[in-house]
Amino acid sequence: MKTTPLHSWHCSQGANMGEFGSYEMPLWYPAGAKAEHLAVINTAGLFDTSHMAVLTINGKDGRTLIQRCFTKDIDACIGQNKTPLVAGRCVYGIFLNQEGGVIDDAIVYQFTDNDYMLVVNAAMGKTIQTHLADHVLPDEQVNVHDLTDQVGKMDIQGPASGRILAKIIKDPAVLFDKMIYFSFKGSFDQNKLPFLQAELLDNTPLMVSRTGYTGEFGFELFVAPQHITSLWQQLLEAGKEEGLIPCGLAARDSLRSGAGLPLSHQDIGDWPFADNPWLFTLPRDPDSNSFTKNFVGREMLESMASSTWTLPFAGYDLRKIPLGEKSKVTDLDGNILGIPLTCTTDMAIDRVNHAIISLASSEEEGKPENFQPKGLCCGFVKINTKLDAGTQVILTDGKRKLKVEIREDIRPGRTARRPVTKMIPSL
Amino acid sequence: MKELNELNLPENLGYTEDHEWAQKTGETIKIGVSDYAQDQLGDIVFAELPTVGDTFNKGDEFGTLESVKAVSELYIPMSGEVIAINEELDDSPELVNEDPYNSWMIEIKPSTPEEYDQLLSASAYMDLLKG
Repeated sequence: MKTTPLHSWHCSQGANMGEFGSYEMPLWYPAGAKAEHLAVINTAGLFDTSHMAVLTINGKDGRTLIQRCFTKDIDACIGQNKTPLVAGRCVYGIFLNQEGGVIDDAIVYQFTDNDYMLVVNAAMGKTIQTHLADHVLPDEQVNVHDLTDQVGKMDIQGPASGRILAKIIKDPAVLFDKMIYFSFKGSFDQNKLPFLQAELLDNTPLMVSRTGYTGEFGFELFVAPQHITSLWQQLLEAGKEEGLIPCGLAARDSLRSGAGLPLSHQDIGDWPFADNPWLFTLPRDPDSNSFTKNFVGREMLESMASSTWTLPFAGYDLRKIPLGEKSKVTDLDGNILGIPLTCTTDMAIDRVNHAIISLASSEEEGKPENFQPKGLCCGFVKINTKLDAGTQVILTDGKRKLKVEIREDIRPGRTARRPVTKMIPSL
Repeated sequence: MKELNELNLPENLGYTEDHEWAQKTGETIKIGVSDYAQDQLGDIVFAELPTVGDTFNKGDEFGTLESVKAVSELYIPMSGEVIAINEELDDSPELVNEDPYNSWMIEIKPSTPEEYDQLLSASAYMDLLKG
């Protein structure tokens, strides 16, 4: 099994390790997955994400290649007015195959008009590199490099993330200035891009991206692999007073599920990318309802009729069902509707008079005094009929039966999009 | 994750291959899960237990333990009738992580008391974990 540069650190701290995407990764540390999940909601958590793959796309036809293969229209993707992707901004989207199925999801970063970076899932670097190379036309000039295991990555997530990061970087006021959701500064490569400088106090160059996979305010940090252990330890030290703790993949999974984010190859995968909560990644013109550009997979998405719907759900208590061959979704009469894709427990939420309230909710939003959530089961189902939010269905593994509710959204009060000035008052 | 030599396996209990323990207390038997089981499961967030009066045969599933990561079945080490359940676990299932040998799940009146002698000793259970 492969390991990240932090592997020996995880083991030395007593982490419970497990396999994910051919890497041996921490599932949780001795604090436990519940404490880790709650740390990200209340203060901050630190995740080793060096198993994820990084690719670069360079050359005068790089943008054209991305437009051809990526679902997001990068000439019309920023803000309400759908302006083009520019240097310092990044977008989330999907790579589809010709059949309209998902190869992987990704974030595309723009450094210059001719230089881009992709972050895809663990073990997907080679696959995406090959996919892109297969779609380069004979007269085009573009190079795709797979930097798997050549870039260190960690995510600091939670409301205190910015305050903690500010303690170890140079000129935090400059770095965080206008740092909106899905923007980034700096580079992990010392020789690149002096106009977007980001450095630690010890002069280590890094790339700071205001993105994440938890639904909470935070950053994804990229450094050269030789600096990763030092950055990891500097952050834990700087965040000690705030309550920053290292977090494993179990907390990452429960946080992203509650935030309504898909796990690639589980919630989205080798079936047509349609009728799911993530269609905002498709380049649809809201006026004409047609696509704004051509992309791999478009023809299939346009020609096929809907047959399955992927929808978020939440339960009424924290119990979940184990996923396996016997797990099914049925209606209240027991008729089979489909399968659960993800079923986990968001430990930060609970029901208060039927509404879902989070630890991060305000009192105006209905959070009671001394609110102590027990957690709610949540995730995504893939079913053969379209159900409205509020409809109840049954999840079963053959033994246990759980009544859950189809939802539009799961965990309220998420902080990912809050203004940086609000989250780091000292700026 | 605990190393094998960090596991607490009291000598005065009988163990099963499914990582439950049984403790003789006079005529009755208390049943819980081992230190190894709670460490593997991670944070235990819910215990689904039977009701007093239910009867089980040795090896039957008598409940589930739910952790953040998984839902695990509990198998009864000895046949008998449930005479008490540990209601403390209703509100504080995390006690199973904190103190697995005081956090019993059910107490039974065994129908075949000699089944206790077929359970694994602490050292035999350790050998099983070593593989």
